[in-house]
Amino acid sequence: MAYLYNMKKLLFGLVCLMCSQTASAQKELLQFDEANKYVYYQVVDKPGLTADTLYQRGLYFAKIANPKNKPENVVANAIITKGKFLVYTGSSVVKKEGGEISYTLFIETKDQKYRYKISDFVFTPYKRDRFGNMTAIPGVEVPLEKLTSKYSQKEADNYLAQTGAFCQATGNSLKQHMDKVSIARKAEPIKKVATDKW
Amino acid sequence: MKKKLLLLISLATFAYAAQAQDTTKADPPLMISGSVDTYFKYDFAKHGNIPTSFASDQNSISIGMIDLALKKKVGKAAFVGEMSFGPRGQAQSIPNDANDGNSYHVQNLYVSYDVTDKFNLTGGYMATFMGYEVIAPAGNFNYSTSYMFTNGPFQNAGFKATYLFSDKASLMAGIFNDAWNVYTSVSQVNTFGAQLMIAPVKGWTAYINLLTGKLSGTEIDLTTSYQITDAFKLGLNAADFSAADAVGTGGFTGVALYPQLAVAKDVTLGLRGEYFKTKDGTVTTYGPAPGSSVTAFTFTANIKSGPLTFIPEVRLDRNKALSDGFTKSGGITPTKSASQFVLAAVYSF
Repeated sequence: MAYLYNMKKLLFGLVCLMCSQTASAQKELLQFDEANKYVYYQVVDKPGLTADTLYQRGLYFAKIANPKNKPENVVANAIITKGKFLVYTGSSVVKKEGGEISYTLFIETKDQKYRYKISDFVFTPYKRDRFGNMTAIPGVEVPLEKLTSKYSQKEADNYLAQTGAFCQATGNSLKQHMDKVSIARKAEPIKKVATDKW
Repeated sequence: MKKKLLLLISLATFAYAAQAQDTTKADPPLMISGSVDTYFKYDFAKHGNIPTSFASDQNSISIGMIDLALKKKVGKAAFVGEMSFGPRGQAQSIPNDANDGNSYHVQNLYVSYDVTDKFNLTGGYMATFMGYEVIAPAGNFNYSTSYMFTNGPFQNAGFKATYLFSDKASLMAGIFNDAWNVYTSVSQVNTFGAQLMIAPVKGWTAYINLLTGKLSGTEIDLTTSYQITDAFKLGLNAADFSAADAVGTGGFTGVALYPQLAVAKDVTLGLRGEYFKTKDGTVTTYGPAPGSSVTAFTFTANIKSGPLTFIPEVRLDRNKALSDGFTKSGGITPTKSASQFVLAAVYSF
């Protein structure tokens, strides 16, 4: 019995550790830039591809990532697009939309490499309206760097972790488009059974 | 046992990783939200005087309600089901009050469909789109309610279409049951409702509302709020109601201002100043007699501790005439003034 009890404790501890480490790791994906603003920044080598090819692929990605916003071309081979994503509060049982975070995605290409930066994160909190929907509170905007001035450390860490996860997922998706890997699901063979032979 | 343990950890790792990847793409999860509220009220006349909704029990630690809302959206289709249990959400919110006064109360029960990104259709029993204040305590800054809220609709059953022109403007139009606050119509679905939303500048939203029907009467309402600075918000509600000929004559006109100032990270102070005038006629309101008026000032603080909000509140009401309903201690001698203290706690989840 003591062995089982210890195993249960060990299991519980490992799960807790895993969850906290995942959240912490996602939060740490974000870095501070020169202006002390949160940023997710990567430089990716892409041997064999020209700046123009990478630009076209990046432009296509920017269009589908934020279909409501037309990407801007500020300098040669650079794209800027703006978007937003939802962040959630609470555990899986009472999980709900806590707000939205707007961001700017900057992609720039050169021959055989590209870089991207996700920055300008601004949190807009949600509140439940009279119809039971979570909606943005008008006029309230909190830069991600100032989250702790308005919210508890736990809430701020939760939103930072979700921002890190979003940036990582966006980076992975961009990489797929730059690599031009087909993201369409492979059609799985339909399993058929021969009912005439038995 | 070790194998089982390793298998379990591996499965949990994969499940968690998969969930993290899908966060931005999957349909939102089933959302459970709501609130629980409790309060203490003391009217300085030693009996209840102020006739507005909720916070009604004198010198008592009393309960409001537990409010439970479920929402799920899959693709373009969504539902909201919200029920409340407790005096605030039962007898004090009207439906079934005439029968047993103690039934549970549906606050919202509707389905909706996004025809396009800008066009939505919704049908069912919904919280009213009129007015500044709501039944759920987590949606209000003040714990006691205004005269305009108490005398306006709480819910409307019907079907509405909303078109979003842009982030700055939308228009809703709908057809609703002939009576407010009932699950079924008396006999007709003939109340017309419309709402124009405009957001002229960042942080400022205004709703111009109309609800008119042969049985429910006609109410025109302006509800607006402006987050002027990070710390200061100003709200305004103005309404005019005329009873339907089928019910009688009269109605009310009112205006309320809601300035709120955040003085610390977790503390906001606010005032509600309301002027409520009843029209001459046969219809009586929860307020002064027809043809009279009342002025009410409510000083409220919201002190937050995580999901819990403490709401201390002092309220001073003054009627135009001695005969408008307030009485001094003992309940016999009429007076123009009434005052009360409320301490409420609201937990939101």
